[in-house]
Amino acid sequence: MAEQHLPERQSPLEPEYHPGSHGNFEHGVDVILSEMRPGTILQLAAWPGEEKQLIEIIGEVTGLALPDGAGGGVSSGARAAFGFAPGKFTVVDEAEGLAQAFAGAITPAVGTLTDLSHGRTAIRIAGPKAEWVMAKFFAIDFALPAFPLGAGRSTNHHDVFAQIQRTGADQFDIYVFRSFARSFWKALCHASEEVGYEVQ
Amino acid sequence: MLITCPYCGPRDVIEFTYQGDGNRQRPQPASQNLDAWNAYVYDRLNPAGDHNEIWQHSGGCRAHLRVVRNTITHEILSTEFARGGHKTESRS
Amino acid sequence: MSPRRAETGGRIDRLRTIRFTFDGAAYTGHAGDTLASALLANGVTLFGRSFKYHRPRGLLAAGVEEPNALVTVLRGEVREPNIPATMVEIYDGLVAVSQNRTPSLAWDIGALNQLGGKLLSAGFYYKTFMGPVIGPLKGTRFWMFCEHFIRRAAGLGKAGTAPDPARYERMNAFCDVLVVGSGPAGLMAAKAAADQGVRVILADLEAHFGGSANWSDEIIDGMPAADWAQRAVGQLEGNDNVRLLPRTTVWGYYDGNTLAALERVTDHKETPAKGEPRQRYWAIRAGTVVLATGSFERPLVFPGNDRPGVMLAHAAERYAVEYGVLPGQRIALFTNNDSAYRSAVALKKAGATIVAIVDVRADISNDMRRLAGEAEAELLDGHAVIATEGGKALTGLKVQRFDALSGALSGDERSIHADSLLMSGGWSPTIHLASQAGAKAEWDPARQAFLPPKPTQRWIGAGAFTGSFSTAEAIAEGRAAGVSAAGGTAAPAALPTVEAAPGDPDPAPVFEIKAKGKSFVDFQHDVTAEDVRLAHREGFVSVEHLKRYTTLGMATDQGKNSNVPGLAIMAEALGKPIPEVGTTRFRPPYTAVSIGSLAAERFGDLKPERLTPMHDWHIANGATMYSAGLWYRPMIYGLPGETIEQAYVREAKATRESAGIVDVSTLGKIAVQGPDAAEFLDRVYTNMFSTLAVGKARYGLMLREDGLAFDDGTTWRLGEQEFLMTTTTANAGKVMQHLEYFLDVIWPELKVTVTSVTDEWAGAAIGGPNARAILASCVTGTAVDNATLPFMGIVHGRIAGVPVMICRLSFSGEMAFEVYSGAGYGTHVWQALIEAGKPFGLVTYGLEALGTMRIEKGHVTGAEIDGRTTARDLHLDWMLSKKKPFIGSAMMDREGLIAPDRLELVGLIALDNRPLNGGGHVVEELDEDNPHDSLGHITACCYSPALGKYIALALVKDGKARHGTRAFVSDPLRNRFGQVEIVSNHFYDPDGSRMHG
Repeated sequence: MAEQHLPERQSPLEPEYHPGSHGNFEHGVDVILSEMRPGTILQLAAWPGEEKQLIEIIGEVTGLALPDGAGGGVSSGARAAFGFAPGKFTVVDEAEGLAQAFAGAITPAVGTLTDLSHGRTAIRIAGPKAEWVMAKFFAIDFALPAFPLGAGRSTNHHDVFAQIQRTGADQFDIYVFRSFARSFWKALCHASEEVGYEVQ
Repeated sequence: MLITCPYCGPRDVIEFTYQGDGNRQRPQPASQNLDAWNAYVYDRLNPAGDHNEIWQHSGGCRAHLRVVRNTITHEILSTEFARGGHKTESRS
Repeated sequence: MSPRRAETGGRIDRLRTIRFTFDGAAYTGHAGDTLASALLANGVTLFGRSFKYHRPRGLLAAGVEEPNALVTVLRGEVREPNIPATMVEIYDGLVAVSQNRTPSLAWDIGALNQLGGKLLSAGFYYKTFMGPVIGPLKGTRFWMFCEHFIRRAAGLGKAGTAPDPARYERMNAFCDVLVVGSGPAGLMAAKAAADQGVRVILADLEAHFGGSANWSDEIIDGMPAADWAQRAVGQLEGNDNVRLLPRTTVWGYYDGNTLAALERVTDHKETPAKGEPRQRYWAIRAGTVVLATGSFERPLVFPGNDRPGVMLAHAAERYAVEYGVLPGQRIALFTNNDSAYRSAVALKKAGATIVAIVDVRADISNDMRRLAGEAEAELLDGHAVIATEGGKALTGLKVQRFDALSGALSGDERSIHADSLLMSGGWSPTIHLASQAGAKAEWDPARQAFLPPKPTQRWIGAGAFTGSFSTAEAIAEGRAAGVSAAGGTAAPAALPTVEAAPGDPDPAPVFEIKAKGKSFVDFQHDVTAEDVRLAHREGFVSVEHLKRYTTLGMATDQGKNSNVPGLAIMAEALGKPIPEVGTTRFRPPYTAVSIGSLAAERFGDLKPERLTPMHDWHIANGATMYSAGLWYRPMIYGLPGETIEQAYVREAKATRESAGIVDVSTLGKIAVQGPDAAEFLDRVYTNMFSTLAVGKARYGLMLREDGLAFDDGTTWRLGEQEFLMTTTTANAGKVMQHLEYFLDVIWPELKVTVTSVTDEWAGAAIGGPNARAILASCVTGTAVDNATLPFMGIVHGRIAGVPVMICRLSFSGEMAFEVYSGAGYGTHVWQALIEAGKPFGLVTYGLEALGTMRIEKGHVTGAEIDGRTTARDLHLDWMLSKKKPFIGSAMMDREGLIAPDRLELVGLIALDNRPLNGGGHVVEELDEDNPHDSLGHITACCYSPALGKYIALALVKDGKARHGTRAFVSDPLRNRFGQVEIVSNHFYDPDGSRMHG
């Protein structure tokens, strides 16, 4: 079927998304918050023993060389991938349609593909106080040696599941369930007030 | 209390859900042995000391773990995926 | 100049004057002052009234252990009671008030309690108020009468009732080494660990790092100890692997080297910066902890030891050296050890006259004699203080000859004129955190103190905490602990040199001087030495019982001063050595912790909200939202002036007459994928799914392992190896865990992935006689007629350009369709459906109408699948496959689960045409005064527009057999009694002709 023109996807953050500087920003903003709005968010799962095969497929389809090992990940401007659970990976692309590219490659012998492009909301936090603000939410170690560049983590804040990828020395991309996204976003803005934040 | 998830590393207990006594044996699905089913569904070991338990890393990778925990000291002696494979000894 | 502020000295900023009020009177102090030091400088001696007897009390200590000077700090309408004045840093505009006094601190009517001292002795409450009523003034009922007055008279500050607008936050921190305490030991440890390159956190409950270095007279590395400390802090500040947490009390030591700390971020500020929390709760996971928490000086127990003006010796030294405040001009000291001599010299240097040093010991070392000489103090060796004089301030004391071995007093009493009496009863290491961490403290007969136990978690002690009371030892142990905690080996570099006054760390084993008058052990709870002995005489021999009976050590200070003297007196009464009496285990928190900090960011936002993609549309279009678990769902879309019942009746009626649409995005949705997906569903559901054709949906029921009903929903087969399972909204998480458990633990061989896709899809259910026509008018790319889209069929098409998946299934009992689209397009599709429905009078309906229509149809939900019902109870036994085992199949036929008298699902019709209530009981015979013999209960109820009656679903004993019979509802709680008819749960269109079309 020919790709028809689709309306813009609605952001779950809409009424609470206020670009500009907020909080204690008189001395500068120490974090920048933004919604990423990638076109594709996929979950790929390999059957036990097929993980390496899946990593290879991800490399072939996306050009991302995923390091092996728990939570290993990589990001290049437009695309990102990381492990978040045994044999499971999140693959993200700025553009829509990556699912179709994988459809033929992920055979039943390898594993499964689940499209979560609508179901997860991607929020980016960047800046010198990004680790500080993240530490208010998640009981995991955000220091660079413990959470290296590109790596992924699964954790939660109360009932809000989150997958987090470090995409810069002081930058994290947080994937939360869409239905929780606004609530989480409000909490994130609230927690960032102290250090001054800018919404882009 | 910290539990070392073989995938995610040591995490706070708040990320985990206790899923019960790990010593239970589920009868074959078609088994009609009610005593065996009864033991599986209702009987739980409650030792004072090392105990085999199942925990789910529900607030993380969601894998189920077999955990050996000392019920007196809360020390976690080992963790491994319930599916088998990687085992983490953490006796200090 | 303030009456008691010395001309020079102290580490306060004399150029900055700070204005505050205490009990309404205006005072000034300097930056760096605590409320305690500032008031003391202003000549205030009376800080509070004691707990039971309302005795006047002054400052006992200078730090966190202060038991007497508890104040309430007011910020606007918010009052925070019971803060030691020693821990309040003054700021401009600080408003503090004293506590436990009526009408004022100076004239307190409660002081009359002192006259009844015998009445209020240990166990007063138990003796007076517990047990049966014997006389007119005894027993529990008497307590209920007296409680109000007693609670007002006895006790601490009043908690406020105004909401606290302050912000509290929680922080998670990780480090290799956590150093608790920043005295010389802590500073050395932090420095040594930081030099090894590991991550270090240094926390201290005081505002300024340095601990005893801030007020000791010692020279470290050739400079005053305080300067040395500041230099060390400066070096630490420059390290980016070090986090410094001043004003941070580490109050809990938990399993896995997890520690809890409270940082008072803005309590010392007039106004916090924007977004700055008042307090931060730190959850710290440390590789190794260095405990450098120092020690507490102990009071001596003697008559009148609680009079304002009687203070701990080091506290006075600290007020003089750190704050430039003298607690008195004519100072006497009373000691059982050497440390008080150092205090005497310091106070002499600060400008006070030291009138006497009263030492219980007869043999005083030459060093101490020299220090006494330096202080120009008369040395009364082999003496003890037997009384103090004065009212709200000390005027003098009496001494007598004392034999330290026998405790006997002899000779003439001698009066000494003094306005300040400083006491030192030896030192107790601050072992609270080590005790919390798990092991029992050990009594050291030389130090006369409990020393920290052997570590059961990864911690290392250093300094006074270990019983090493000298600064030189603290420095050496601190560095060794820091290096070792960081996993390094000690550098051979020379340690900083220390010039300090000499002193033997071991006190004489004297805790109490027995003479006439009240001798206080626990100042905060007003427990006297005699109370302890009385408890013993009454048979309380275990230290745990003693504690509870006398309330010794149970006040907010948790016995920081009183623990050891209390045990010593108990041990003497028992005729046992102290270690045999034992000590109680310290438990968190080390100091009082605000509830706000524990709630932290959860305050006011306890639950995150889950919103459907169409949430904003619902709000904009008049929906009244209802919170269902974490979800927010429209309850009704009320018109102006409509009641809830009128709204849902209108919505349900319009749906049955034409069409209605409801947001079903909250339904749990789980992608079940993989080669074994069908096999897995066969095992999970009671009915068969492997036979389901691609493009079709089927209603499924799950049981628990014990055979009881668990959840229901439809599952759609989207591909050979791909299913979309739906669950009830409430059970989505539980079902997910259930599936994950079986795949991970029981059947790991199955190749199946389960993924929550609840949030991926927006769902709209459109139903009613015109639903198909509405869809036909807006769906492209597929037909929706009966042949293309039969009951339980699935088609893919587009609405307003957006790909949608449509399944024909019905909860309302009408011809109905669930339309799923990507969540980001949810509102777009919803609006297109609303637009398409306009010519048909399509209504939006909420949970109430949804519930009404499902009750009319007799469908079950969580109200009926309540964890106690079986498939048979709910008339769902037709779904129990006999061809295969499934979860619960082996257990579901147990005797009790198939018994004939089980509660079964039925319908009820109110014959009196009045509303029924959920939870109301069904009875055969009405007895309003004495309801009895319940047949069952109502699970759901509504007004049925289709029937024109008030109806309900109920679980009733032997329900099916009662169809057509009459019974009564009995609901005494809501005074609802009346006759009902028991009918089938399928009230409406029982053969399903409407939905099958």
